[in-house]
Amino acid sequence: MKFSRNPPHKSDSSRLTLRVWDFTGTAMLNLFMFLFIVAYLSPLAFMVIASFTPRDQFLNPNAPILPSERVKFPYEGKNLIVYQVPTEDGIKNWALYKPARRSSQFIDPQNPEAGPILWEGQWRTLQPIYRFKPTLDNFRDFLAIAKLPLYFKNTLIVALISEIGLLFSSIAVAYGFSRFRIPGGKYLFLLLIATIMIPSNITLVPTYYLFSGHMLNWIGTWLPLIVPHFFGSAILIFLLRQNFKSIPPDLDEAAMLDGAGPLRILISVILPQSIPVVTTVALLHFFYIWNETRLSALYLGIRPDLQLISFAVQRNQSYFFTPEALMVGALLVMIVPVIVLFLSQRFFMQDMIVTQIEK
Amino acid sequence: MDIANQSGLWTKLKLAKPTRLQQEARIGLLFLAPWLIGFVLLKALPILAALVFSLTDFKMLSPETTKFIGLENYIRFFRDSEAGASLLGSLEYFLLTVPLEMVVALALAAIFTSERLKNKRISQTLIFMTSIIPSTSIFFIFLGSLQYAERLIFTPLNLPPIEGFDLLLPFMALWSIGPGFLIMYSAMQSVSREIYEAARVDGAGRIARFVYITLPMISPAIFFTLVINLTGAFGGAVLLDRGYILNFSLSPMEGYINATMFLDADLGYASALAWVTFAVMMALTVFLFRSAKHWVYFPEEDEQNEI
Repeated sequence: MKFSRNPPHKSDSSRLTLRVWDFTGTAMLNLFMFLFIVAYLSPLAFMVIASFTPRDQFLNPNAPILPSERVKFPYEGKNLIVYQVPTEDGIKNWALYKPARRSSQFIDPQNPEAGPILWEGQWRTLQPIYRFKPTLDNFRDFLAIAKLPLYFKNTLIVALISEIGLLFSSIAVAYGFSRFRIPGGKYLFLLLIATIMIPSNITLVPTYYLFSGHMLNWIGTWLPLIVPHFFGSAILIFLLRQNFKSIPPDLDEAAMLDGAGPLRILISVILPQSIPVVTTVALLHFFYIWNETRLSALYLGIRPDLQLISFAVQRNQSYFFTPEALMVGALLVMIVPVIVLFLSQRFFMQDMIVTQIEK
Repeated sequence: MDIANQSGLWTKLKLAKPTRLQQEARIGLLFLAPWLIGFVLLKALPILAALVFSLTDFKMLSPETTKFIGLENYIRFFRDSEAGASLLGSLEYFLLTVPLEMVVALALAAIFTSERLKNKRISQTLIFMTSIIPSTSIFFIFLGSLQYAERLIFTPLNLPPIEGFDLLLPFMALWSIGPGFLIMYSAMQSVSREIYEAARVDGAGRIARFVYITLPMISPAIFFTLVINLTGAFGGAVLLDRGYILNFSLSPMEGYINATMFLDADLGYASALAWVTFAVMMALTVFLFRSAKHWVYFPEEDEQNEI
């Protein structure tokens, strides 16, 4: 909003003040947005930090926040832990040599030849010294247990097959709604919008029964996750239809005069102009399959070898992992959608919204 | 009716022969066929089946003993205090998270319209990004952040320790503002400059312009965001679906229905509960659409070809 800059009839000095204010305001605004985004995304930073943090450090309130390890000093073939030891000459960094309850023996790493120094006090009250050192152990632990390549492959197969069915039918239906005069078409379209709002719970019981051993016996297969998409998705049809409608019909008319049939017009006139929105729809569906947990829980709980990534990682969490390894899981599961978003940001966010608002 | 009238190309050229019109409708219906079949098989029939189930004592493990019990399941719902509490919990969830989400999205959108803001595209993507993070990740990210917040903020400031899951809802709400923010931002950008200019000449201040021009002009976007949030809160389809957190249900009613369905395997009662939720949601939607007349601004020309 560009308002109230340079109001008329001001003296030179006040114009200067105004410019100073202008600059300060701009700086403040950008600083505010920067700080907001830093705070807003800080949990992601915590996740990354925790992923590289050695075991036990994450839950230890005395350890530093950043991934680090205790500083050690090799002495007589052993690795001694270095502590901050208060002495008469101030705090010294000494390596603990022989711990005991009342007094302990330390080695001065700067002068190891001097031999053990006796220090009176309880060594357990001393603070160890840490050094910044990220570790990949959590990634190793996580990948050793979670069969990530398998889940990734499963997710991609399900996403790809259902994507093909979804795009074919959603594009066809959106085309039908945007270009044909159908008696009662308006009511059908209202019905389509109404189905967007139907809570999934209400259809869950009967569809579960349909897919269960009592009828189709699809439990333990990918079919319940794939087949429904071959009938299109109401919300994506809506998105596509809004976009198809915004394409002027002149070109279709010209193509039709040239003798092109409806299918030919869809393929050679409508689709080439709708590549961004079709890609957006494809991506939205990919995100849906990637994040899908509920149907996996229902239908794939008994088949660990078929599970999709979000569900498998979420399911494994309770038995196997340390908190740090869980962070690795969180990081690895979210990184793919985020990369896809950044690659497609140019049109993804725009096509998702601009067409919607026309409702 | 206007769906076809606007595009109207088949009509314009072929209206002369009524059979052509029929043919056009037939081809159109052919294109709609996948959705129509899916609608009948996966929406209409299951909803009706759920209604029938809700009138029986259908148990997953013993379908053969099922018998018709009339409205007993619904009567049971009114006596079931846990179900009532869950339903209220879901409403509370909607009432708590949606205003938070909307206000933050609106404020951010307003800041984004400022020409002084730099690097808008990257900021926009970064703010939007959190809305596509899978719930699987969100849950752990949240738990991890609590740990760090405790150490960095709460312990040094001697604040009482955090009640873990109380913060999950606001956290998820704040991290879901992406679509709402984009909708409102693009709506604000399309408000005509001249109106602001005119108001400025008449002496309207910054805040007055926001309240009396921006808010009414983008009220359709606000309304739309409200509707999609309502839909999402009650388990309808959303554009960006994060998936579920399996061992922690954000919407208590949904958790309760799932427990009835899978732990008790009581499909009859679960169907009744789902129908009650559906009815409540429909009532809220109708209320929202009714109220729209009073506060949502629909430009004149849009009224004719509204959908």
